[in-house]
Amino acid sequence: MSQGRQLTFNIFRYDPQEPNDKPKMVRYQLTETPGMTVFIALNKLREEQDTSLQFDFVCRAGICGSCAMVINGFPTLACRTLTAKYPKGEITLMPLPGFELIGDLSVNTGKFMRELAERLKLWLHPKANDISIHRLEDPMAPEEAARLYELERCVECGVCVSACATKQMRETFVGAVGMMKIARFELDSRDARTAEDFYHVIGNQDGVFGCMTLLGCQDNCPKDLPHMQQIAYLRRKMAMTLV
Amino acid sequence: MISVTRVHTRVKTQGIGHPWSAKADRLQSATGIMLGCFLLLHMHFESSILLGKEAFYQVVQLLEGGMFSSTGHGFPMVTKVFSVFMLLVVIVHAAVALRRFPAQLGQWRALRSHLGGINHRDTHAWFWQLITGFILFFLVPVHLFTMILNPEIGPHLSAERVYHDNAWLLYALLLPAVVIHAMIGLYRVAVKWGITAQRSGLRKLAKVLIIYLLCLGSASLVAYMFIGSELSVPVQPYVPQ
Repeated sequence: MSQGRQLTFNIFRYDPQEPNDKPKMVRYQLTETPGMTVFIALNKLREEQDTSLQFDFVCRAGICGSCAMVINGFPTLACRTLTAKYPKGEITLMPLPGFELIGDLSVNTGKFMRELAERLKLWLHPKANDISIHRLEDPMAPEEAARLYELERCVECGVCVSACATKQMRETFVGAVGMMKIARFELDSRDARTAEDFYHVIGNQDGVFGCMTLLGCQDNCPKDLPHMQQIAYLRRKMAMTLV
Repeated sequence: MISVTRVHTRVKTQGIGHPWSAKADRLQSATGIMLGCFLLLHMHFESSILLGKEAFYQVVQLLEGGMFSSTGHGFPMVTKVFSVFMLLVVIVHAAVALRRFPAQLGQWRALRSHLGGINHRDTHAWFWQLITGFILFFLVPVHLFTMILNPEIGPHLSAERVYHDNAWLLYALLLPAVVIHAMIGLYRVAVKWGITAQRSGLRKLAKVLIIYLLCLGSASLVAYMFIGSELSVPVQPYVPQ
């Protein structure tokens, strides 16, 4: 097998825990191997060249949503990005903007997602007659289950939040992930909340009416979730509420 | 065993939703569609000068209600009243669209840093819509005030305005700003409300329309310059042969 080409990585380095550390870009060289992903490359770099390099990963298969970062200007999952995609062999890695920085490429998306879930009450609110735990749940139509499952595919990677200029400008904006989850409960026939209840949560400048349809969420979502259609659906729905 | 308390009542979320949030969003889109569609018509009406003075004269007489007068001449009052109406629509659109502006310096910095760090075409398109929108705050009222105070339109009268009154400068700045703003805006409003999912097709259409309208507008502006340069002051209104 022929020798792999040399890849150049420009990686954002900054450890907020270090009192005298300053944000900087550091260059690393690495020999490419067949089928190499950015995630594999980062592990190799950490193993062979710099043990202090911080980045997140769990599943290495695009399911956990931990390894999201900005790769050459596109926020996406490192484990699903092949280095072969870059003909020049130059790869710049930045942490996802808009989240609390843990260090280098690692950001605290979990804290953001938890606060969002608490703020938007992203859990099932059963109907009043569904209180008894002894009562069997009504069966759900397969079509409805499929619709819900489609929206449940979100891995909370934070890419939609980082790709959204609206969110970057307005700290309190809920972003596509928030609206996707609201839409999921809005579609769920078991949920007691009415359109009016949802209006009080997202019918404002921080919610669906603050969305400027820049579509960074739609174009960058690594799970190809239908953000554009879903936000348009919520917008139509909410625009007809409280009239 | 730890007991978990679950509250299974109808959720009372905080009453933060206000009907005006929805109204403002609907108003912005509705006035935007009105203005965008009006621009498409307006550009074609005014560029009828490219088909000759007679064609433009007939278009003006028709739009000013010439069929309702005994002489066949339209009423400039129609232009005046319509301009006042358009000014009101512009004011409403500007007022609700202001919600989108990065009004604070920190927001502007966040936007600039986002544009520099994240590679995304639609966000860049919005940035240009923002810039042209800001420019239009100043240029559209000037254009509309001219039409309200001095509503006479005609092959010679319009050419006089463009050439002798130096309105070409206003139009040369207004044309690219309004065309870019309106076409990106029409594209955005269509995907915003989910009118169509054919996004790439729409984006191409918006691009083609921007180039087409810029060519059309520039050509008719040049035509007025030529007509204006051939007229001597005081300019006599055009009389059809």
